[in-house]
Amino acid sequence: MAVAATLSQRKRVKRKAPRGFLRRVFKRRKPHLHLGTRCDLLVHLNCLLFIRRLAEESRTDACKNKCGIIKDQHVLAAAKVMLKKSRG
Amino acid sequence: MADSDLSDNEPTTRTLLRHVLDTEAPRTPRRRQSTRAGVQRALPESPFSMRLRSQTKTTPRRQSHRARSIGRLAPHIQSKGQLKEQTPRTLLENILLTAPESSMVMPESVVKPVPAPQVVQLSSRESSPGSLDLQLPELNPPTAMAPSLLTSGKRKKRLRLSEFQQGMDQGLPLSQGPVMEPPANTGASSLTSSLNLTFATPLLPQSVQRPGLARRPPPRRAVDVDIFLQDLQDTSVATALPGDRTPVATLPTDTVLEDTQPFSQPLIGRSPSVHHSLPHPSLSAERTVSRRTRSSGPGLQNNSPEKPAQLLAGKAEKVDALAMGFPNTSNGTSAEDELKPLLDRDGEEVEEIMEESMSLDEVKEAAGAQASARAEEPEAHMEVTEAEGSWGAVEAKEPERSSRDKDAEARPELASSAPDIPQARQLEFLEPAPSTSTAGLSAEPLPARLPTRVRTAGPRLRQDPYKMGLSHYAKLFSFYAKMPMEKKALEMVEKCLDKYFQRLCDDLDVFAAHAGRKTVRLEDLELLMRRQGLVTDRVSLHVLVEQHLPLEYRQLLIPCAFSGNAVFPAQ
Repeated sequence: MAVAATLSQRKRVKRKAPRGFLRRVFKRRKPHLHLGTRCDLLVHLNCLLFIRRLAEESRTDACKNKCGIIKDQHVLAAAKVMLKKSRG
Repeated sequence: MADSDLSDNEPTTRTLLRHVLDTEAPRTPRRRQSTRAGVQRALPESPFSMRLRSQTKTTPRRQSHRARSIGRLAPHIQSKGQLKEQTPRTLLENILLTAPESSMVMPESVVKPVPAPQVVQLSSRESSPGSLDLQLPELNPPTAMAPSLLTSGKRKKRLRLSEFQQGMDQGLPLSQGPVMEPPANTGASSLTSSLNLTFATPLLPQSVQRPGLARRPPPRRAVDVDIFLQDLQDTSVATALPGDRTPVATLPTDTVLEDTQPFSQPLIGRSPSVHHSLPHPSLSAERTVSRRTRSSGPGLQNNSPEKPAQLLAGKAEKVDALAMGFPNTSNGTSAEDELKPLLDRDGEEVEEIMEESMSLDEVKEAAGAQASARAEEPEAHMEVTEAEGSWGAVEAKEPERSSRDKDAEARPELASSAPDIPQARQLEFLEPAPSTSTAGLSAEPLPARLPTRVRTAGPRLRQDPYKMGLSHYAKLFSFYAKMPMEKKALEMVEKCLDKYFQRLCDDLDVFAAHAGRKTVRLEDLELLMRRQGLVTDRVSLHVLVEQHLPLEYRQLLIPCAFSGNAVFPAQ
């Protein structure tokens, strides 16, 4: 009701979540599972947070090595830490 | 409102204020010299102020008052350098001086020119330092003079207007009979006529200006159509193409996302990954021609790497470059990284898929997809190199391929016009995907590799949209990092994201199974985030949703109460 009303005013969502992509990926990996209605939005949120932390981690790594550019070894090191942290 | 005793026709605020100012005794003494100076200042001002005023009756009075007020102001200004003394009187006078007068009835144009000189005279007459006593007599004479002034002015104005109108009649087609004639009620109609005239003229320039503002349809390049038709004819003519095969369409690569240029130049011969996948009709014709020439020459082996390179190039603008690229690619010395794995894969594909080339051809006919054509090309090439006998078969395939390519290229051309090219390509790739997925090509694309590969439609299908989705998040990574990044770092990010997705799905599976469900729900997600340490006792899931998601998603996720005792989303 109210949601529809607001959506009609502004039809362009900034930073859309690739819902179709997420659903497809999940379906591909776990074909026997179903993904809930709005779960892909939360998955998108999860990815955003993961990437944010990864980016900050790699930025600190690059700054530690006094590099002006983020290189893949920084990203790799950061990813190791992050994947451990977000092991769940 | 009742007319003031000054017999003003329209008791506007201005006139009332003026009346107040007039009647009120001035607080500051008036000095002769300053008044004279003020008068001089007033004189040039008078015509201006007259323009502002529509009432001739009050204008002379106002002029005198203004002169006096200016004279009053002058000492202030001179003595203090700035208008420091801010009495209400001075403020009102300033307002009256500066604010334009707007009359409801009488437009100002009539009043403007005529009264000015007369007012000047009046002001000069009254400019002599007048005491309070003089004010009253001055008021009266001006009032007496005003009507005469008005009529005289109007008469003069009328005359002038009539002359002007006559002139305009001759000049302009906008002659209004009744309007042009001197009106009985003098001022108004003449004014209206003048106004009409004045309004008429600006219309023309506006209309002239309109075309500039009008929107024109965007100029379309007809060249493409001509070239396209030419190429169609060429391709129809050049059906038998030895060796060089299919020009194939463009390989969709996730570079499509990055490269928005429809026709980007190949770096060296072909820069497959970088180029946009838009197929160019001329290219196909060129390619077919070049292929013919090339195939005639030796080195079919060159063709095989050439084909995939061509495929990758999508639209290599310069066939010469392509030709040059042949030997380059055969050596694998091309600068493009993508070519190396491509070549490797080509070798693998060729070995693995040789026997399947025929089946692939059939599939390709069925699917009409370019991907298979591409896949077939290297194989066909290899076949040719290995067995000359199959040359005829290849050639037989060629016309099919060329025709298919033409169709395929025509299709993508049309599709490319649409904004989402990758999806169009995905659709095309979808067709051959199931058939070729079983080919068991070295499908495992190096995760670091961007999906420029032609390898097979199977892995590509999984990769291209997958890679596109991952690259979408990789871009977010570069945004969050706020630092410049290397491309390899981005690929590394995609790899990590891939692993992360795997883990995510596994965890959700475990959680759902633990709850005895087959559907993943929001509570599973929340549990996952809690375990990851994102959601704590301090930071709830709703807080994170509010912080990071756009409004539309927030509304979907966070239950909110609406009128009528309704909650959305329902819990």
